[in-house]
Amino acid sequence: MARVDCSKICPEWPCEQPEEFKGVWVVAETDDDGVVEASLQMLTPALRIAEKLGEPVTGILLGPPGVSKLADELIKHGADEVIVVEDEALKDYYPDVHGAVVAELARRYKPSTILIAATSRGREMAPYIANTLRSGITADCTDFDVDEKTRDVLLIRPPFAAIMLAYIRTPTRRPQIGTARPNVFPVPPRDETRQGRVRLEKVDVPKPRARLVSRRKLERREVPIEKAEVVVAGGRGLGGPEGFKLLERLAALLGGVVAGSRKAVDAGWIPPERQVGQTGRSVKPILYIAVGISGAAQHMIGVREARRIVAVNIDPDAPIFNQADYGVVGDYREIIPALIEELEELKKRGPRAIEEILAEQIETAEPGSP
Amino acid sequence: MGLRVVVGVKWVPNTQAVRIDPKTGTLIRQGVPSIINPHDLAAVELALQLRDRYGGEVVAVSMAPPPAVQGLEHLIGMGVDYAYLFSDRAFAGADTLATSYVLAAGIRRVEEERGRVDLAVFGQETIDSSTAHIGAQVASWLGWPYIYYVRRAELAGDELRVERVIEGYVEEYLLPLPAVVSVAAKAFKPRDVTLRGKLRAKREKPIKVLSNKDLGLDPRCVGLKGSPTIVAKVTYLPEVPRRKEVYKPKTPREGARWLLRKLLEDEETRKVIVKSLWGGGSG
Repeated sequence: MARVDCSKICPEWPCEQPEEFKGVWVVAETDDDGVVEASLQMLTPALRIAEKLGEPVTGILLGPPGVSKLADELIKHGADEVIVVEDEALKDYYPDVHGAVVAELARRYKPSTILIAATSRGREMAPYIANTLRSGITADCTDFDVDEKTRDVLLIRPPFAAIMLAYIRTPTRRPQIGTARPNVFPVPPRDETRQGRVRLEKVDVPKPRARLVSRRKLERREVPIEKAEVVVAGGRGLGGPEGFKLLERLAALLGGVVAGSRKAVDAGWIPPERQVGQTGRSVKPILYIAVGISGAAQHMIGVREARRIVAVNIDPDAPIFNQADYGVVGDYREIIPALIEELEELKKRGPRAIEEILAEQIETAEPGSP
Repeated sequence: MGLRVVVGVKWVPNTQAVRIDPKTGTLIRQGVPSIINPHDLAAVELALQLRDRYGGEVVAVSMAPPPAVQGLEHLIGMGVDYAYLFSDRAFAGADTLATSYVLAAGIRRVEEERGRVDLAVFGQETIDSSTAHIGAQVASWLGWPYIYYVRRAELAGDELRVERVIEGYVEEYLLPLPAVVSVAAKAFKPRDVTLRGKLRAKREKPIKVLSNKDLGLDPRCVGLKGSPTIVAKVTYLPEVPRRKEVYKPKTPREGARWLLRKLLEDEETRKVIVKSLWGGGSG
C-alpha cells in the first residue's frame, strides 16, 4: 500500500495513511417503502470488494427515530453490521446535511471504501461526502475490483464513448468512493438466518440551511423503465413522435413500457426519464425491442443487462444487428403493426396455439446473413 | 441590487461527433471539435433569465485550455456579461476534486473583483464524463447550500425558491443565498446568440484569462497533483454475447411471423409473452 509523504500532498487534505482505513461501506437510501432497491444492489460489489480485502461490509443508515428497524434488511442481504444515526433532524433529506453526517461517521470509523447508489439523491450527495473528506470519487462504476499488490479498489467505469472502460484508483487517499447506477448490479440473495450487529451512533446533525417547503408524489402512470420486464424503445429512425403511439400499442400488449434513445429524447418525442443509455438510464428487461435505433455504443451500454434484444431497423447495416439476438430488417411502420396483429391473433387463439405455431414449417424461416 | 450569478461551464469534446472505426472497433478521436457542454447552456439560460428578471449580472467561469475562449465568446453572444477562463498547464489531468478546487477559488476571485456572488449555477452533468460531481464539490469548498436538478427558480424575499423532480416526487425548496444549484437536463432552452452579443464579444472582449499564479493556488492542490483519483488503465468493454440472428423478410407479415416464432422458441421470451397475453401461469 502506498505510503503518503505528507509534505507532497495538497495541504487542504488531511495527512492520513491508506493503511489506517478498513471496511467497506454502503450508504443506504430510504424512502416510504424502506431501503431502496438500488442501495441493496450496492451490497453486491461491496461484498465482492470486502472479500478480496478481507474487510467487513457495513451499512450506513440515517433517518428519524425508528429508522434502525430497517437495519435488518441490509444485514439479511449481506451486511455484517449497520451503523445507524437516528435523529429527528434527519427526517427531511438535504444533501449537505446527510452528506455531512456520513462524512463525520467516516472520520470516526475510517472505512477504506464507500459505495453509494447513483440515484438522483446519491448523485447529489456522494460528491459532497467525497469533497468533505477531501477524497476521490468515481461515478457510475460498472464494475469494481481490487489490485492485490496495492490493495487499492479499482473503480471501473465507461468514460467518454461507452466502449471504453477506465480503471480508476485512489492510491493516496481514503476512503475510496464510488457510485453505480441502479440496476447495474443485482440485489444479493436474502438470507433469513443472517445476523449482524447494529450500532447506534450519535452525531451532531448540522442545521439545514435550505428548507423543504413542499413534497408531493407524482402520479406514476407507468412502471419506471428500470423495472419493466419488457421495454419497447424507439430512436431517430421512428421519424417523429407519432411512431411512439405504435410502440405504445406493442408495449401495452406485451405488458411493457416504452423508452427512447437520446436522439428521441432530444427531439422531444419522449420524456428524459424514459431515456436509455449512457446519459439516460440502464434497464434490465427480459425483452428489449429496439425500433429505429442504430445501436451506438452510448445507447447499448444501457441495455447490457437485457436478457434478449430484438432490433427492427430499415438499415441492414445498422450496428444494432450485431448486438441483438433477433433482428428484422424492414420498415417499422409495417413490421410493428404486423407483429401487433400476430400477437393479438395469438392472444385470441390461446396458449395452445404456441405449440401449433412452433410445429408449423416455415420454409422462409432460415436466418439471413448476420 | 440585483443578483450576481456565476455559471460554471465545461469545454468538452463533442462526444456525439466521436465515431467508432467499424474495422478496428476503436475510437476515432481525430478532428473531434470541442464545444461548451450542452447541459451547461441550460444553466446559462437560467442565469440569464434570473438576471433579466431581477437585474444584476451573469459571470461565466471555466477551467480549460486557451481555445475555450471561443466557447466563452459564444456565451457572451448569448448575453452573459463577463467570463473568466482559468487556464494553466498545471491544471492538466485534474479530476473533479481538483477541478472544483480551482472553480471555487475562481468564484472567490469573481467576488473580490466584481462583488458578492449570490448564486452559482451548473449544468446537470457533462456529456464527456457525466459525473455530476462539480456542483456539490464547489458547494462543499464554498460552504454554500446546494440543490441539484432544478427546473424552476425565482426569488422569494431574499431566498431562492426552487422546484425539482426527483425519484417520483416534486419538491420545492427555499435556499438562502449564496447557494449552488444545478439545473435539470433540458429544463431551460438556451437562447440563441444575438448579433449585438456577438459584436460585444468581439469589441469589448469581456473575458479574463487567469493562470494558476494569478489565482495563487498551491500547485499540490491543482491538476494531476491535486487529484486523488488516477486512471490506472483503459481497456475496451467486453462484448455481451448475443445471438445475432438477422432476418430480411420479403413481406412485413413474414418478418413479424419469423420474429414471433423466435420469441416463442426462446424459453426466456416465451414466458414473458405467455404472461403478458394471458396473465399468471408463467411459471
